[in-house]
Amino acid sequence: MNSMLTTLGAGALGLALATAPVAATAQPISGNLRVVVGSTSTGGDTYQNASIVAEALGQKLGVNVKVDPVGATEAFKAITRDTRGNTVMIFHDQSYLGNLYGVRGYDDIFETYRIGPTVAINPGNAYLVPKKSPYQTIEDVIAAAGEGKRVRVAIEPGGVSEIGFSALKNAVRAKHPGSEGNVVAINTGSQADKNQLLFDGQADVIHGSVQANEQYTRLPETDQKAMRFVWLTSSRDVINQANPEGIGETGRDDMLKYVEPNTVVPRADGQPFVFDKDFFFIYNAKMSDEAVAAIDQALAGIYADGKIQTTQKNAFFIPNFKPSGEAHAYLQEKRDQYRQIIEAIRQ
Amino acid sequence: MEFLSLLTPQFFVLVAGGTMVGILFGAIPGMTATMAVAVCLPLTYSLGLVDGLALLLGLYVGGISGGLVPAILLNIPGTPSSITTTFDGYPMTQKGEGERALKLAIYASLFGGLFSLAVLYLFAPALADFAIKFSYIEKFLIILLALTVMAALSSSLIVGIFSGVLGIFISLVGTYPTSVGGNGEVRLMPEALIPYLESGFALLPVLIGVFGVAAILAEAAQGVREETAADRLRLTTGKPFSLSLFRGQGVNLVRSASIGTFVGILPGVGGSAASVLSYSQEKNFSRNPEQFGKGAPAGVIASESANNGLTGGALVPLLSLGIPGDSTTAILIGAFALQGIQVGPLFIGENPQIWNSMIVALLAANAVMFLMMYFAIRHLARLVLIPKYVLYPIILMMSVVGAYTINYGIMFDVWTLLLFGVLAFVGQKLGLEVAPFIIGFILGPAAEIYFVKSIESFGTLTIFFTKSPIAMVLWVLIALSVGLSIYLARRAAGRGPDDPAAERGA
Repeated sequence: MNSMLTTLGAGALGLALATAPVAATAQPISGNLRVVVGSTSTGGDTYQNASIVAEALGQKLGVNVKVDPVGATEAFKAITRDTRGNTVMIFHDQSYLGNLYGVRGYDDIFETYRIGPTVAINPGNAYLVPKKSPYQTIEDVIAAAGEGKRVRVAIEPGGVSEIGFSALKNAVRAKHPGSEGNVVAINTGSQADKNQLLFDGQADVIHGSVQANEQYTRLPETDQKAMRFVWLTSSRDVINQANPEGIGETGRDDMLKYVEPNTVVPRADGQPFVFDKDFFFIYNAKMSDEAVAAIDQALAGIYADGKIQTTQKNAFFIPNFKPSGEAHAYLQEKRDQYRQIIEAIRQ
Repeated sequence: MEFLSLLTPQFFVLVAGGTMVGILFGAIPGMTATMAVAVCLPLTYSLGLVDGLALLLGLYVGGISGGLVPAILLNIPGTPSSITTTFDGYPMTQKGEGERALKLAIYASLFGGLFSLAVLYLFAPALADFAIKFSYIEKFLIILLALTVMAALSSSLIVGIFSGVLGIFISLVGTYPTSVGGNGEVRLMPEALIPYLESGFALLPVLIGVFGVAAILAEAAQGVREETAADRLRLTTGKPFSLSLFRGQGVNLVRSASIGTFVGILPGVGGSAASVLSYSQEKNFSRNPEQFGKGAPAGVIASESANNGLTGGALVPLLSLGIPGDSTTAILIGAFALQGIQVGPLFIGENPQIWNSMIVALLAANAVMFLMMYFAIRHLARLVLIPKYVLYPIILMMSVVGAYTINYGIMFDVWTLLLFGVLAFVGQKLGLEVAPFIIGFILGPAAEIYFVKSIESFGTLTIFFTKSPIAMVLWVLIALSVGLSIYLARRAAGRGPDDPAAERGA
């Protein structure tokens, strides 16, 4: 037994010595790459998307990759500790929306961290009503609020779930000034809780997603659980990139009914409000340019190969690779646009 | 029967391998079924959904079942849902009936697992429809019902309630997260500690600290000594196992498995509530409640049939609503997401092959769990023969590793483990009760959320009484539970040292 252990140990040491110098000099990111995601769920889109990207990235860089769903607070802490580039974060627009909504623990990511490349969009961000609801469209909801009816919207506060609610409130404010108070947030958490509020009649509209709620939209109206989409926040261009078969029995053409210009939640300037849920990398602010460039180049190669697009589309993501610099400007512009809406309804 | 083509030898090898690894995870203090499933989740990429689920379901069933081993032999619950197994399992071990208790627990686990599997297979969609009748209010009342057992599990009513409330208080330290509809603000901590405490105290490190580290400290306080053969626990000096032990336990088995299954069906209530509720119900309905806490086989049966009943129950909302029923199925849903399979109200009808293969995997996992554990008992039970000065350092090391890995490498969880070990050691010296404390700690956050959300939704306290017939039934059960607790406490007080929980200790 001892001799076997000695042999194994010597073999491992030899292998380490033989490969270490090569790995250290060949690329700025070597050894293990830890991808922390801003959600604690393994069933959600962040983990799913991060897993797809991380696997491809690991192969391209020739490093071991592990995706850890640690949640936003711990993920930000983890990348703050590591300047080498061996710990990176993948998250979505929540990372700056949390800051805009003043949620504790969300610093300004554009100042505190370094923005990495975007990789994909989840086009499924949606709002739903019960199938028996008198509201057929989101325009009906806006009109009802304008007529003085109280519309309760179940959301998770402080982020992606709330931005559509804010836009809805802003639309009521623009179309029916003074009536925006009729759109009321019911703050809750998981999709299960939002669905339950709808089943209980405690919410008129809920935030959801095509992925999580599509099957509910196919239930008969007599079923207490039956729902109907009234709005997808993604842009028409993004939905048009989805596979024609869509998801479940809701095809791409069905989804197009719920996005602009067929379904419009107007901004103050009359243009339709659009929100695409982007997934992107976030790094330690001091991560070296070489390491940032290495990930950019690796991802550029992966997207040039074209395989990842198929995997992402099959998982109902829209590929959206933008290298770090471009991603920074793109996301900052998005942030500025949403800041206006949030500040408008606060006044 | 097309799904039969999916049931390859690899499928069954994966179920068996998953179950074995799961048992190991469950049996090692600090490791849980949830952790086992999380570690192996990425493998579903390469295995495909059906084979991946075979592995994960094996891990799930094995992980939940494995928790009974340290609970019975070491008085350390391997998983949160095996806390109540320690109450009577360990006293049986102390009486030299460790092997008997293990066999009893394994049979009860098998029954619970198969019972919930049958319920899942036959009634999943109908039960999911029933589960959605439980709004915030009914869920709060279920948790309140589970909390009422705090008093029944204590040697003193007042100390028990105090310990439980302390557990609730400590569980609320941290952030009121926006992910559950909170305001994202921290509470119950001085500003200087915010960087450490903002995520609160994680359950597993607290649990293992309170049960495991505290026990190790208590042992250390007595001084390290060379154990003589006479000091060591004997394996089979007590009564031998016989299936006749289950005579008269039919109601207990069915009730406990039903409670376990039903609690699993309700998303957000938490698996630990299942074994706590069934244990207390069995004690309340028992003709000999004073035997509970002293090695009553009925207590082990209630706890183990309930926590394995959870396995099928927690899959009901997952596969019928797309909503996980407990922390492990919350990880399991990732396997579907990674393969791009939607789970929701139409999943079973649209994916009969996956559904049927899952049922077969669960059936096989229960069978494998039973066979593996049954035939390994003789070896497992020898754990108690290992001198404590050898065993306890190993447990401590495992606990530290488990605490560090449970949230993917957070050092504060290790400090939590050690801190709560010391606090529990000191607390017990001061007379605090461990069981109600930990039950309060586990159920506190859910109780708070459902209470606050009920008030936010309805704006009045009277709604708790008038919301629905289900709420009224739950109030009757709560009143009965409280009444019985008071009655049992008075009766025990009248008998003095016969107090049922007095001898349980840590």
